[in-house]
Amino acid sequence: MRAERDGGPGATVATTVERGGRLAAIGIAFGWHLVMNLPAIVAEWPEFRVPWAAGAGWLLYTVVGVIAALRLYGRVRVPTTPLIAVLLLVDVLSFATVPDGEIFAAANWAWGTIGWFAVIVLWGRRVGALVAVMAANAAIAFVGVLAHNGELAVDLSRFVMFVYGTAVLPIALLAAMNALRVTSEGAAASAAAQAAVEAERAGAVRAQHERRERMAIVTRAAGSVLADLADGRADPGDPAVQRRCALAAARLRRLIAESDDVPDPLLHELRACVDLAERQGVPVELVAVGEVPPLPIPVRRLLAEPLAAVLASARDWARLTVVADEAEVVVSLTTPAADVPDGRSSWAVDGVVDYWYERDEDLVWTQTRWRAA
Amino acid sequence: MDTNSMAGGVTPDAAPTPPRVAVAIVDDHPVVLEGVRSWLAADPRLSVVATGDDIDAVLSRGAADVLLLDLRLHGTMVIDRVAELSAAGQRVVVYSEHTDAATILSVLDAGAVAFLAKKEGRDHCVETVLAAAADRPYVTPALAGAMVGDRSNARPTLSDKEREALLLWFQSMSKASVAKRMQISEHTVKQYVDRARIKYARAGRPAATKAALLARAIEDGLVRPEEIGGYRSWAAG
Repeated sequence: MRAERDGGPGATVATTVERGGRLAAIGIAFGWHLVMNLPAIVAEWPEFRVPWAAGAGWLLYTVVGVIAALRLYGRVRVPTTPLIAVLLLVDVLSFATVPDGEIFAAANWAWGTIGWFAVIVLWGRRVGALVAVMAANAAIAFVGVLAHNGELAVDLSRFVMFVYGTAVLPIALLAAMNALRVTSEGAAASAAAQAAVEAERAGAVRAQHERRERMAIVTRAAGSVLADLADGRADPGDPAVQRRCALAAARLRRLIAESDDVPDPLLHELRACVDLAERQGVPVELVAVGEVPPLPIPVRRLLAEPLAAVLASARDWARLTVVADEAEVVVSLTTPAADVPDGRSSWAVDGVVDYWYERDEDLVWTQTRWRAA
Repeated sequence: MDTNSMAGGVTPDAAPTPPRVAVAIVDDHPVVLEGVRSWLAADPRLSVVATGDDIDAVLSRGAADVLLLDLRLHGTMVIDRVAELSAAGQRVVVYSEHTDAATILSVLDAGAVAFLAKKEGRDHCVETVLAAAADRPYVTPALAGAMVGDRSNARPTLSDKEREALLLWFQSMSKASVAKRMQISEHTVKQYVDRARIKYARAGRPAATKAALLARAIEDGLVRPEEIGGYRSWAAG
């Protein structure tokens, strides 16, 4: 019942498991009530102290049993406490009306029946509730046994056996059903948890792969110049080495900016390069027109990287422009010609970004252009 | 930075001693006002006739061929004043530190003859004022950027060449480099850029200054009359 209400991952499995146990419990209770109790009451009818009370008690059990069964199938909503109270009252009645000397016989029917009825009333509850009912049953029986005119020692030992015999099976059934439900819920939940763990692991592997990729880029960007500096092969005073350092710094700075979560990542990355150039004393004008559409990281890299490289070698001033709409993004850098290679070149990079570079007497002009496919 | 190529066609057919262009300047920062005044006054073709921080006070001191107007006066954007003055035929060159495309385009729509970013400097400033006085377009890189990035529904249709010329001019600020890149002459670059500008003059709300730009463009052969849709009706209105 609880599993059905919860509707968690284990709900379906638990519901299937519970259906069988529920049917078995109802079958036992009514089977016992009809096959054992009814013939016993009929056979001893005249001997009962108040025969009609015994009959009424039997009928009351039947009614409680039907209500409990209906409740188990969600047909009626009844609190369990009154039902248990009725069962215990009839139990007392049974002890009070049982024929003399038959306290341990089938005529004292309620003693052995209450457990099975309590099981279906308390179905889905914790075993403790049933144990409490069985304890009350035992207390009633104990009083009945004390009031019984027989040999006390013998009665007490039979009492203990009876208590054991009547209580163990119902409690075992309820406990087993509860354990089964917990297990099945747990199994289903752990299956779901395992799937979640699996997804997390896949995510971690991907993240690690990306990290490795970035590490490789960083190594390409700065590894060789750092190694040369460390080995003493590169002289920090050499302008060429300084330019390599500036270039590496620009790449690293752009790479760091790349993973920032900002509304306009391309501009953010370009600004990072601009910051660096300005810190080196090169005033950079960054003008952006239009709205940059969302671009994948590799495209942003292709757009920004060549400009970052030229920007790193800018000496006097630089002008960085971005013209964008949803179909096209054009990034351009112009800066006075410095000691960079002469000439012009242009090529398509990976089929998504066109790169264009030109240097004339006074201007170095680099442009990258992405067009929507 | 090649700005001389933007000098426009003012000098070639001008008389030996042409009358000086009368310029009025309105700015609410005395330092800027003084700086711009000295830039313009240093050019023999220009004469600064009035300066101040209030449009009406400055214009009441006499007619000016061109009003150089700071867009933000005492904390207020004066785009509506630009529209009012342009409708009345006053040539207004707006200069501002507000260089976002939306502002520039709304200034153009209001009828300003030209837009100048404050950081665009002396040469652009002088050339812009001279071109404006002759009702000729002058497209600064900032203005080119605003036009090339314009995605509004009301934008005029630019040809691929015009768009490319605007884009490259915006990027490089060098007509010579643009010419080399497009493998055309600097003169043709300027024509593409100016034609794009003229297309803006016939878009949006009508203004006497826009009509004057169009008329001059036809006269100069920059555009053909049949290319100008509603030009005549505006002039009539």
